[in-house]
Amino acid sequence: MSDWPTAFESELLRLGLQPARARRLADETTQQAAESAAPPADVFGPAHLYARHLVAELNTPTANFPRTRYQAGPVMLSLTGVTKRYRRQTVFEGVNLTVRGGEVAAIVGANGCGKSTLLRICAGLTRPSGGAVRRTRRVGFVPQDGGTAGWLTAEEHFTLFGSAAGMVPGRARSTGAHLATRLAWRPARQQRAQQMSGGTRQKLNLVLGELHAPDLLLLDEPYQGFDQGTYVDFWQQVLAWRDAGRAVVVVTHLLHDLQNVDHVLDLGATA
Amino acid sequence: MTTLVVARLSALEVSRRRAALLLVITLPFWFYLVRRDLSGQSTRALTLGIGWAVSTLTLFVVNASRGVDPRLRLTGASVTGIIAGRLLAMTGVGLLLALGYWTMVAVDQNLPHLWAAGVMMLVSALVAAPVGSLIGAILPRELDGALALLSISSVQMLADPTGLIAKLMPFWSAREVGNYAVDGGSIDLVWRGLAHAGVTWLICVLGTLAIFHWRLRLVRYPEP
Amino acid sequence: MTPRPWLHGFLDLCLLAMLRERADYGYGLSQRLAAAGVADVPGGTLYPALLRLEEQGLAVPSWGPSESGPRRKNYAITQAGLDLLAGQAGDWRRFRDGVDSLLSAVPHE
Repeated sequence: MSDWPTAFESELLRLGLQPARARRLADETTQQAAESAAPPADVFGPAHLYARHLVAELNTPTANFPRTRYQAGPVMLSLTGVTKRYRRQTVFEGVNLTVRGGEVAAIVGANGCGKSTLLRICAGLTRPSGGAVRRTRRVGFVPQDGGTAGWLTAEEHFTLFGSAAGMVPGRARSTGAHLATRLAWRPARQQRAQQMSGGTRQKLNLVLGELHAPDLLLLDEPYQGFDQGTYVDFWQQVLAWRDAGRAVVVVTHLLHDLQNVDHVLDLGATA
Repeated sequence: MTTLVVARLSALEVSRRRAALLLVITLPFWFYLVRRDLSGQSTRALTLGIGWAVSTLTLFVVNASRGVDPRLRLTGASVTGIIAGRLLAMTGVGLLLALGYWTMVAVDQNLPHLWAAGVMMLVSALVAAPVGSLIGAILPRELDGALALLSISSVQMLADPTGLIAKLMPFWSAREVGNYAVDGGSIDLVWRGLAHAGVTWLICVLGTLAIFHWRLRLVRYPEP
Repeated sequence: MTPRPWLHGFLDLCLLAMLRERADYGYGLSQRLAAAGVADVPGGTLYPALLRLEEQGLAVPSWGPSESGPRRKNYAITQAGLDLLAGQAGDWRRFRDGVDSLLSAVPHE
């Protein structure tokens, strides 16, 4: 059973904890298991899963207490009375939303209420039928699916998107690889997007969305195909963006996500 | 910068589509092989085959990047940069293909103006890339586009070369230059062909750019 | 036992209340929770919560020996913890009374 603490500690390191802190947490966790006179695996489950759980818990503010509020920054996105109609059909109308730097907003609502359309409007890919949109210039957009080129590898995607943002290939590749590790992903050199699993492709999608360090991130249910661990990694990443002063807008249908967000826009309710 | 990266990656993409590449590249060869005894017919069919091959490959590349393009735009790339990169790559592929088949014809056939046969294939390859991208811009699905290109090539092959319909087709220039290469005659044939190729190229490039500028337009929002 | 989602919001509150009574270590706290009939909290839920209290300065740990076996991490509540608990306890009572009044309401004819 002596390899449980080792596996636990190395997973903590991989998740980005300082070595000293990882060592301390591993020691304490071993002692806690000893308190109940049981092997760690019985008390806490598999080492790598508990490591992820612990890191997520430590990063999530206590649910019942007022969250340590981060200083909300400048307004990154504001929607005023935004309306979308397709021919005679009104998809939604009178949508208001203001998101500042350091804030996370969630767009929720039933299928077909126009969540993705609203996100595309925020991005500037779709024109609203009415209302006013103000938005910061640097924006990252992660669509629900697609958004990658099937025949290219992850590295080639980094180069491609980097060049669009004016980065030299070397820097784009290293930035992409670095951002990938935060999602606990190490891109395989030869693997093309079309050969990736759905979850891995979504990780690629996420990395491409933030490669150019945008101030505003627009995410459309970006965790489809994620396993539990990756899902936790994803929310950690969202909170890290927020704490770095960026604004994040997430389209979601999981109510469980909402405990982490500052604003909830229920499209079903406004339509 | 973006243009060169897009060009390099598009070329890579084409090289990875092994099956499609093989089928598309060998098609002109079958065209050529069936009437190999007739220099003129076989060379003309080969040239049309090159045009079809390059335009179809371009169509595939254009369609495969549909999901990526809007995101590249949002990241900061210009429409012209993206399209230029893709056309550059596919033109390069076309030139290679034309050069290869020209070498084959040079060895295998005895044409009065071998250099003009080279020009004929070159013109066909050059025009093919923007034709493929224009069709790809209009028809979003690979199958639809490939069938449209097949129709265009067939009409070009079957229509009376002196008639209006043939002249309205994009690969008429290659036929015209081909007449000189195969049957000889006035050098004007070559010039007329080049002029037709130039106009076609321009129309297709501008058309592609116009459609993609419209499709990939971003709404400009004021900053908060 | 309490349904899991209920506990999620109140575990920190319960832990602070128990620590106000007396300082304790993790295993002891889990046994007290079980004895109070609140919940059987698995270690994987309890220890992260304690670490969180520690990191937020609501509880302070000290290492002490145990009668048998390894040393233990004893937690004591801090002044910040006491302040927070006082406010949260009031919130909890209001919430509980509200829920009670809804639950005890009799249907009208």
